[in-house]
Amino acid sequence: MIEITGLTKTYGSGNKTVNALNGVDLQINSGMFGLLGPNGAGKTTLMRILSGIVNPSGGSIRINGHDLTTEAGKYAVKSMLGYLPQELGMYTELTAEQFVDYMAILKGLDDSRKRSQRVAEVLEMVGLREVAKRKIKGFSGGMKRRVGIAQALVNDPKMLIVDEPTAGLDPEERIRFRNLLVNLAADRVVLLSTHIVEDIGQTCRDLAVLAKGKILFRGSPAEMLKATEGHVWTLTMSGLEKPNHDLTVVSMLHLAEGTQYRLVGANVNGYSSAQPTQPGLEDGYVWLMKSTGQVVMES
Amino acid sequence: MKRFSLKYTLLTYRLDQLWFPLAFLAFFIILTLLLRNEVQNYDIARAYVGFAVPLVGGFMAAYAILDDPALELRFATPIRAAQILLERTTLIFLIQAVCANAFLLFSLIIGVDFSPLGNWVNVQLCWLLPTITLIALGTFGALIGAQTMVGSFLVGLVWFVELIVRDGMAVNNWKYAYIFMSILSPEHPDLVSNQIALFALTIAFLFVAWALLRKQERYI
Repeated sequence: MIEITGLTKTYGSGNKTVNALNGVDLQINSGMFGLLGPNGAGKTTLMRILSGIVNPSGGSIRINGHDLTTEAGKYAVKSMLGYLPQELGMYTELTAEQFVDYMAILKGLDDSRKRSQRVAEVLEMVGLREVAKRKIKGFSGGMKRRVGIAQALVNDPKMLIVDEPTAGLDPEERIRFRNLLVNLAADRVVLLSTHIVEDIGQTCRDLAVLAKGKILFRGSPAEMLKATEGHVWTLTMSGLEKPNHDLTVVSMLHLAEGTQYRLVGANVNGYSSAQPTQPGLEDGYVWLMKSTGQVVMES
Repeated sequence: MKRFSLKYTLLTYRLDQLWFPLAFLAFFIILTLLLRNEVQNYDIARAYVGFAVPLVGGFMAAYAILDDPALELRFATPIRAAQILLERTTLIFLIQAVCANAFLLFSLIIGVDFSPLGNWVNVQLCWLLPTITLIALGTFGALIGAQTMVGSFLVGLVWFVELIVRDGMAVNNWKYAYIFMSILSPEHPDLVSNQIALFALTIAFLFVAWALLRKQERYI
């Protein structure tokens, strides 16, 4: 279990101080947990802190009882961690098998027989068994991500942290990746950080929304949808007319009778033809950002 | 748990960092063969082991740790900063040791007399101490500046300045930090103090580099 209390992270000093995290409180239990937020919200900083790479400026973090603000705690957490960073750098001259094997050694899997068995297992798990002996430099973006997840899993981690894992993947790869993460979450904590709302909606039973270093929402996707009910409409308008700026256009579709807008906002005063509609998670996210005063896309 | 593999340390070593010292070695061997002059051969041998080997070692050390594509993944594993530091700098030192001794062997075969530098141990110290000092300086510079360029700049600057003001370096208090004393002034009365001081400097640079490397967030 992860317990985060009053977590702060500040970069720079004086006039150039940036508060990347500003008093984050979170409790995360086993299963799949989604961390959603716009670019620059502080997600990667939080992931790196939880991975023991970045030191917090203040607050406390305990992972399975280990205090992450101490060296001993960091060492213990890293020993049970699987981490897939947003910018995945690898030794591309190595084969997939060699790379995962090397990471296994760095994580302390010393017994070579058990290690090679485990390497084969995780490569099978991510569907790379057939190409295990090929150099990584010849792999597609999706295949590299899968090598990344294989190395994260090789030590059978109790906690798996994946930062923007589906960025740059094609739809098929994304679905495969999401399913893989859900399977893995059956017996461990999987922390998925992303700005792609759909990835969270399809996989997580629990989520938090982070913006400007603060937690704006903590709950289930269903709770987020409930909070959005009554704030989503469809409206068809003809000609060059557009909805007013109090409403955020989530999507638009050109039809024969005009343009159909999907709108999120406090109310649709002045648009009698607007039809209330069932919110999706993306609407929920937009409404949350809007209702908490965060900048959302131009209407 | 050892968390170390020589095989992968070598496989993940960048080949261009191997060509660089080998190119220097080949250049000095060719130069020696072209000149074929006993006095000049001695000077070329001194120039290679006393000046080129430490410089190349220092430059390579500046890139040794930070120029790692999988640095963030490595940081997320439970390996200690000291291990990363030693693994990378030792490899560079070993490459330089092989190059220096290969050239010394080549020089001996063609008849170069190293006796003005003292016994065999003293000849070894001529390349070893400046090399470890500049390796430590390169590593320290890269880590304190959080950029490989800072390390290589610092190495180049110290090497160049000490070479230019070598006569002055040997006579004032800077003599203890004079990296070329073994090769240029083997008869200097303070040679042993200089060698001890260089060793101490190396340890100090490596210690600070280790402390800096523990602050992993500076490098990702």
